[in-house]
Amino acid sequence: MANKTTSKVWRRTTIVLAVLLLLGFGSVLVSLVRLQLVDGETLKSAAVSNQLNDTTITAQRGTIYDVNGKVLAQSATVWRVVLAPAQLKSYAEKNQETVKDGVATCLSQTLGLSYDDVRATIDENPNSYWQVMATKVETDIKDQILAFEESFQEAHEGLDISSMIELVADYKRYYPYGDFASQLLGFTNDDGTGVEGLESYYNDELSGVNGRIVSAKSATQQDMPFEYQQEVPAQDGNSLVLTIDEVVQHTLEKYLEEGAELNEAGNRACAIMMNVNTGEILGMATKGNFDADDPIAESVAEEGSFDPNDPRALTESEQARIDALPEDEQAQAMSDALQQKWRNKCVSDTYYPGSVFKMVTASMGLEEGIVNDNTTFTCPGYYYPSKNANPIHCWQTAGHGVETFHDGLVNSCNVVFMQVGLSLGPQTFFKYFESFGFTEPTGIDVSGEAQQTQYYDATELNPVELATESFGQNFSITPIQMLTACATIANGGELVQPHVVKQVLDPDGNVVRTASTQTKRQVISEATARDVAGLMEDDAKSGTAKNGYVAGYRIAGKTGTSEKIEKDNRYANYMNENGNPGATHDYYIASYCGFAPADDPQYALLVFVDEPNAGSYYGNAVAGPIFNKIMTDLLPYLGVEPVYTEEEQAQLDVQAEDVVGQSVADAENAIESQTGDLTAVVYGDGDTVLSQLPAGGSNVPRGGQVVLFTTAESQQETTEVPNFIGQSVANVEYLAAQAGVNVTFTGATNSTSASVVASMQSAAAGTAVQPGTVITVTIAEQGASG
Amino acid sequence: MPRQRTRPAPRPAQKRHPVSKRPAVPPAPGQKAGEGKLKSRLRLFSTRSGMDLTFFILVLALVAIGLVMVFSASYANASYRFDNPYYFVAQQARWAIIGVVLMIVISFFDYHHLHRLVPLFAIVTLVTLGITVVFKNTNLVPNNNGAYRWIQIGSFSFQPSEIAKFTLVLLLAQILSAHVFSQKRRRDLTRNEKLEQRRLMLEVLVVVVAICGLVVLERHMSATIILLLLAVIMLFVAGAPLRWFAVGGAGIAGALLLMLATPLYSHVGGRIAGWLNPFNPPEGVDTWQTQQSLYAIGSGQLLGLGLGNSRQKYMYLPEPQNDFIFAIVCEELGFIGALIIILMFGVLIWRGVMISLRAKDRFGMLLGIGLTMQVGIQVVLNIAVVTNTIPNTGISLPFFSAGGTSLVMLLAQMGILLSISRTSSIEKT
Repeated sequence: MANKTTSKVWRRTTIVLAVLLLLGFGSVLVSLVRLQLVDGETLKSAAVSNQLNDTTITAQRGTIYDVNGKVLAQSATVWRVVLAPAQLKSYAEKNQETVKDGVATCLSQTLGLSYDDVRATIDENPNSYWQVMATKVETDIKDQILAFEESFQEAHEGLDISSMIELVADYKRYYPYGDFASQLLGFTNDDGTGVEGLESYYNDELSGVNGRIVSAKSATQQDMPFEYQQEVPAQDGNSLVLTIDEVVQHTLEKYLEEGAELNEAGNRACAIMMNVNTGEILGMATKGNFDADDPIAESVAEEGSFDPNDPRALTESEQARIDALPEDEQAQAMSDALQQKWRNKCVSDTYYPGSVFKMVTASMGLEEGIVNDNTTFTCPGYYYPSKNANPIHCWQTAGHGVETFHDGLVNSCNVVFMQVGLSLGPQTFFKYFESFGFTEPTGIDVSGEAQQTQYYDATELNPVELATESFGQNFSITPIQMLTACATIANGGELVQPHVVKQVLDPDGNVVRTASTQTKRQVISEATARDVAGLMEDDAKSGTAKNGYVAGYRIAGKTGTSEKIEKDNRYANYMNENGNPGATHDYYIASYCGFAPADDPQYALLVFVDEPNAGSYYGNAVAGPIFNKIMTDLLPYLGVEPVYTEEEQAQLDVQAEDVVGQSVADAENAIESQTGDLTAVVYGDGDTVLSQLPAGGSNVPRGGQVVLFTTAESQQETTEVPNFIGQSVANVEYLAAQAGVNVTFTGATNSTSASVVASMQSAAAGTAVQPGTVITVTIAEQGASG
Repeated sequence: MPRQRTRPAPRPAQKRHPVSKRPAVPPAPGQKAGEGKLKSRLRLFSTRSGMDLTFFILVLALVAIGLVMVFSASYANASYRFDNPYYFVAQQARWAIIGVVLMIVISFFDYHHLHRLVPLFAIVTLVTLGITVVFKNTNLVPNNNGAYRWIQIGSFSFQPSEIAKFTLVLLLAQILSAHVFSQKRRRDLTRNEKLEQRRLMLEVLVVVVAICGLVVLERHMSATIILLLLAVIMLFVAGAPLRWFAVGGAGIAGALLLMLATPLYSHVGGRIAGWLNPFNPPEGVDTWQTQQSLYAIGSGQLLGLGLGNSRQKYMYLPEPQNDFIFAIVCEELGFIGALIIILMFGVLIWRGVMISLRAKDRFGMLLGIGLTMQVGIQVVLNIAVVTNTIPNTGISLPFFSAGGTSLVMLLAQMGILLSISRTSSIEKT
């Protein structure tokens, strides 16, 4: 029967059913498994971020203060201007055009945006609530926007356009001292996250926790009915009080810059000052390269605001060099240059400490009893570290002859220290090397500390390596490691951890925590430490470190001159071919490391100039004067009392008597009858003294002149400061007398060497000054030293 | 109908059906001749036996779950747009009640009466489809997202393509039950048989081309595909020779290519591009709906966020109570919930097919299979769209998607299936 369901129909229907159920239902089930079970988590979180309206309440970043509470970095409120075109729908249709016009006019007038662009933004994003029009808008601009809105409302019968323009608070970072301690402080990026320096190292502390208002919103920004609104208030960041002293830092930077320029430093110069007992860093500075043809165009500090992200932070010549590169290399070159600029050389770069390290080898020898001050050595100018090795030379190739260990340090004799090192043996030498902290980072709380240094461990220290390491070659360390080791000798043998943050304050100014002195270990005995300090004091007073000497302040110092070669380039080979120092190696690091006062050490200072190119490259000649000037300025500031020896007393400046108002004859008599061989010089033909220079009570060098001005015209007279640089002491005095100015000397004043010359002067040559002005001239030995 | 209540197994219809020319069922034993007149009246609600309970309960359950989901999916949208969270669900519930009542009523009618309604359905379909083509972009046929598929009369609106689907199934069931495909090989056919076969095919072709052609002009891709699939399935089940499908397939493919070349279907390329890359669509392709659907489905994971807890329905997924309601089902009820609903549909379809196969006659069999398959195809295509298994195209989910007229039509069709089940020899549980 035709109407009966045949087996063929059954068969075909089964096929259809199978296709539908297996293929159709099967494939949608596979899709569901994939979407819900496999990708469910991903899709769910994407959906949630899609649904949640997350408004960030920016936390205010903490302030960075120096040790005296001066503000070094601070955040101020700025504004983000956000346009909400979707709000347009909430206005009556007849008003929409007016509102659009008002908004565009407002933003074009206040933010300098194009009127048409603003209108286009409104038209093109009709459903958007979040079109950021400007960021980091200053408060005065924000006030202008508010004022415009108000006047618009008055002019248009209460039409309020403020719902279209949202003003969101944000913060901007200011560095009131501009380009100051920049590598140390670092900077923040556009998001307000610290990316370099302390800003980066202490980012978690400083940044605080942004608050959020999280609410579930429908796609039309209506609140959804289920409970999903949470407000987490912003927690402002903590503030940092540094151990850095703004005055110390500025002094370091000033003299480093001067020194780097004078010595044409090819690879920057740096200086660190540290409290030897607590490990507090008072200043840490790195100064840029000096290019004789293009004085550094440091970033332009506009009214205290300093934007490190600004490409202007590069020097003009660097910028020009980068611009000249092929386009695909520019970005990399730019980043390298910025990296170079922002790299904190004091902690990030490694170098051979050179002879400065002899203070460490001396400590080892004295502590182990291998030598005492009077142990005698003979220096023929070279030494064979082992039978088969080639000789290694002393810097004084003629040799120091027979000398005590004391004189060995004062002479910075390589031969003496090679012998001390070899006597210690690799095990003992390395034990102290480790103990002084050269194999581990110091742990200073600054970003970018080099995590690995290069050195030979005990098993690798063959005689040649041991001998060369003994006088500070053949291994690399960071400047901060060297200074920490120096501080260990200064403070009586304790290795302390250097740090730059003294206190962490909460937003209300309460102390959250105070950094305490972290003593890692006793490295050498106090007696040994005193002994080495004494040797170093003698070195600064009369040895190879004379240029660091500051009268009355008992400077202990050691110089270093190190060749720049890589560890791979085996030192011994290089020595074999070239002798010491090799002529093929043009690049040196000149450093000076010391502390004061030697009898009760307080502050240690390391200065080093990388690649001095202006002639002399010796530590004493290049870094010594910088060290000297810094110490001369800072020790009195830091409250170290001067104690003068008799010889020093004899050379000490005298204080001019106040003779203003006296008759010329009386005044002359009074000045010249003072102790100190002062001469009175009368300017003008008046009868009484109107003013005097140096003023009453201020210092005049012995044998100097006091200028007495007797008429108003004479007070206007000026004289030109002569160029003292490179002149001998006698010549300086002669030139000064000729010009009618006083000079006072600092630096290698104890030197009897004929090679002592003026290396710096406090007023630049050619400056017009009043007669009688006191100019400080730093004198330094220019000769070779270890 | 008091008699019916007192007689649980009423007597079968005695009169020959005017259209089907089916031989009458012999009188049941023990039936008295005098009752004939009354019987012939009662035959309208006829019923040799009861309807298939499994199918009936599944339909009711799906309608009930569908209503709950329409409420859950729509209330945010309804509150926002109409300030009345019950806006959609109240309408849907009203139509569901009407639909269920209609279904039950229709189940009592002998489905053979449909033979008489064939011309009516054919005319209504051609006229309404014609209206959408001719009067497009008027108040009668408003622009609906660039398509003209709805006829709007006052607040009442319906899609002629919904009627077209039923008409196609009805017409094909009639044609294919009145004529039978010869099972002989082609060369064995006599001249007369050949002519008859060609005439049969011509009839089928005219019906399919007329209806599909108008739907194509309506720019209604999904309905066209469903109509073609239905036609193919019915012809296949009815025993059409396989060579016809080869010729027909080539014809359809050619027609589709031609169709895609017209500006009417220029949007298809973008749809496919968006399908391949829903989260990163090419310029100018809007995949917002698909994205939000996938977010919703993914959010559900294994167990779902719980009934009523969908977040994507808060204006993220546009019109969540319509074509994309299954995404909200997945979000709220999770994979387990979605699986149960899919299984319910599976059982419904299996049951529908079994009812049809055991129908008393070929017309009932073909009609039943067509109606069941219509549900099956829509379920698969809808879920495939929602899960981005196939490119996005507008297909509603039977029993779930909000839409009064289509729900009523669907339930009326289920009523026909129940009517078939009454005469079916299937074991009714």
